[in-house]
Amino acid sequence: AGFIKSPLSQKRLAQDSVELYCEAIGNPIPEIQWWFEGNDPNETHAQLWDGARQDRVKINATYNLHSTSTISIANLTADDSGMYECRASNDPDRNHLSKSPKVKWIRSQANVFVIERPDIAGNFLVGDGKVTLWCNMSEPQHTITGHKWIHKEKTLKEDNEPGASTSYTFEGTVEEHSGIYECIFEGNPQTRGQVNISVPPQVTAYKKSEHGNEGDTGVLTCKNPSFPAVTTWSWHKSGHGVSARLENASGRYIIKSSGNKTELRILKLDIEQDTGDYFCNATNPLGTGDATVNLRVRSRLAALWPFLGIVAEVLVLVTIIFIYEKRRKPDEVPD
Amino acid sequence: PAPAEAGRVPGPPDGGWGWMVLLGAFVSIGFAYAFPKGLAIFFKEIQDFFGTSYSEIAWVSSIMLATTYGAGPISSILVNRYGSRPVVMFGGLLCGVGMISAAFCTSILQLYICVGFITGFGLALNLQPSVIIIGKYFLKRRPLANGLAMAGSPVMLCTLAPLNQFLFDNFGWRGSFLILGAILLNCCVAGALFRPIGPGTAQVKTQVTEEGKDALKGKITEDGPMESKTEEEGEKDCFEKVNQYLDFSLFKHRGFLIYLIGNVLMFLGFFAPIVFLAPYAKHTGVDEYSAAFLLSILAIVDMVARPATGIIANSRWVRPRIQYFFSFAIAFNGACHLLCPLASSYTGLIVYSSFFGLAFGMVCAMLFETLMDLVGAARFTSAVGLVTIAECCTILLGPPIGGILIDTFGDYKYMFIKCGSVMVLAGTFLFIMNYYNYRMLAKEEKERKAKEEDPKSVRTENEGQKNWNKDSTQDGPELEPLKEKGEGLKKEMNGT
Repeated sequence: AGFIKSPLSQKRLAQDSVELYCEAIGNPIPEIQWWFEGNDPNETHAQLWDGARQDRVKINATYNLHSTSTISIANLTADDSGMYECRASNDPDRNHLSKSPKVKWIRSQANVFVIERPDIAGNFLVGDGKVTLWCNMSEPQHTITGHKWIHKEKTLKEDNEPGASTSYTFEGTVEEHSGIYECIFEGNPQTRGQVNISVPPQVTAYKKSEHGNEGDTGVLTCKNPSFPAVTTWSWHKSGHGVSARLENASGRYIIKSSGNKTELRILKLDIEQDTGDYFCNATNPLGTGDATVNLRVRSRLAALWPFLGIVAEVLVLVTIIFIYEKRRKPDEVPD
Repeated sequence: PAPAEAGRVPGPPDGGWGWMVLLGAFVSIGFAYAFPKGLAIFFKEIQDFFGTSYSEIAWVSSIMLATTYGAGPISSILVNRYGSRPVVMFGGLLCGVGMISAAFCTSILQLYICVGFITGFGLALNLQPSVIIIGKYFLKRRPLANGLAMAGSPVMLCTLAPLNQFLFDNFGWRGSFLILGAILLNCCVAGALFRPIGPGTAQVKTQVTEEGKDALKGKITEDGPMESKTEEEGEKDCFEKVNQYLDFSLFKHRGFLIYLIGNVLMFLGFFAPIVFLAPYAKHTGVDEYSAAFLLSILAIVDMVARPATGIIANSRWVRPRIQYFFSFAIAFNGACHLLCPLASSYTGLIVYSSFFGLAFGMVCAMLFETLMDLVGAARFTSAVGLVTIAECCTILLGPPIGGILIDTFGDYKYMFIKCGSVMVLAGTFLFIMNYYNYRMLAKEEKERKAKEEDPKSVRTENEGQKNWNKDSTQDGPELEPLKEKGEGLKKEMNGT
């Protein structure tokens, strides 16, 4: 028996997971076992099985042409640090209790280091038309090789400094730049922190003024692109000085809302009733915001006048052309 | 040499009322080409209203385009029978009715019928007669007239696009369709301008003044719009009857076949780049407005290029060799597309759009002129019908094939390469075949000259493919635009 692939030593952060991979070949196909020796001087080798350590250990083995085995440990703690051994043997007597000293198990080792998650404190400062985000790592357990700032899957800034704190400054207001910002400390392993810029809803109307045809369906839309998402939307209509909350009671209003958008559909538009200003109001943990949309309902006959005008123009022109031609005919030989 | 006034009145007036006819053709052709493209602005709203997918909406445009090109032969038959004016006026009426009924549609299927079929058919009835009547009113200045008339397409497009947007904002799509229906009725006005003119009336004069010509000519003295009436003799035969309306004998015409094959090939790659220019620009990172601006540049250059090409094609150096100029324009177009993938920056795209607009305008301006040049104004009616229905297939196939190429490879450059190579191939084919054609025509001309020494001077209409030469033998030598003045003088001597 011999190893095709040996497990690799790795460093991990607490609460992360780790995977070790081992492959062996032989005839007959060897069996693979995983053994662990902790860092404590008192500890001895102990075998690991599928479901060990409160079901945090999973072992997946296949024995086809050759043996492969993958051990994965989830939710790592400091006690998981130590030396992991992949042992393989194809001796038929390998698990025999009395003959164990004679049996040969080939071994391959890997070290797993579990590092305490360093505390990363992040915050932001506003001043002077600029916003500054910063992250501080309190007790770095390893060497930091660089930093990166990410927002909405776009990299804002990266560098190769070894410092335990990093900052990012941009121009603008928090209202325009709300959202989740991640600060990443590169190294072995990589650690991330998060800074949230939260603002009250910055509500805007899709279109400040909407048109609809009488009898058709009118759609008014408001959106909130800021963070965090809106928890409640409501629509109000102002008319005759009174602001009434719009409900679905009459069956003509349909409101569809999501965390960042709301849509008010009005069925069977009526010129008198539905023309006017509509307010969409949004609430989130930090406050409220609203916007106004104006709805104009066109009468069905609005297009009729230009239509009749153009038809009249066509008739007039055609008549003129034919009359002109008839009047020329007697005078002139048609060419 | 100006057409003589007294005693020897030539056919096409090349001026006078012809300019009014040109104006009508300008409007008519403009609507026929620009209208389907202008409708795209309404699609998003209609799509939301009916709850259909984008491809279902796109079918409206495709059906309209297919009907406009596919109904070509029907249009030709009707013009052969009734003349241009009634057909265009009926076409305008049909367009108007189509769009007005579309304003009241309640399903996407009804839209297909109203906007797609009815309006498309109406536009087909607009397009062919307008092109045909230019051939009847102009001979010496025909390339210029064609160039000016075809310029209607970009001008109308530039007017229709913002107009459609304005109508849509103020009246919604239903109101806009209603008003557009009324606007399309203006095609009737254009049609009213198409005062009938026939080479038949001209023939009366020439027959009187030039005796001893071809016996067939005598029969042409009948008043009638088309010379293909020669087949009217003994029209008991069904085939001949069909031929009277639609001249299928054109398929034996060498020049016509060359034109047909070359053009069918060319249209495979003609429209796809326009369709994909804006998406390609957005793909390279340009924003929406700049992408739309590229199309505007294209339209503006196109607008200027068409009359300019008309003027150039009309000049003494180019007109006899107009087929070469046409092949060159096609190949130039193809070269532009082949070079497009090299343009990666926005400036490069602007340069490409300008050259593309130039090439596009050149080809479009001469599209019908070259066909007229090959088959003569007489058989042009049937020729244009047959050509448009053949082009119909490739026109519709072009953009989808381009789309498939883009989707498969994920890269626009293969579409440009395909379009460019198809057009360069078409241009080269036309160039070589027309060289051959010109040589054959010259040879036949020599044979005919030899035979004309014969007092019997009979030449059936199906021989002597160089029909503009033929026109001149019938209508008077001064109509021969540029070449062979010597021959003209000889005929004059024969006649008097």
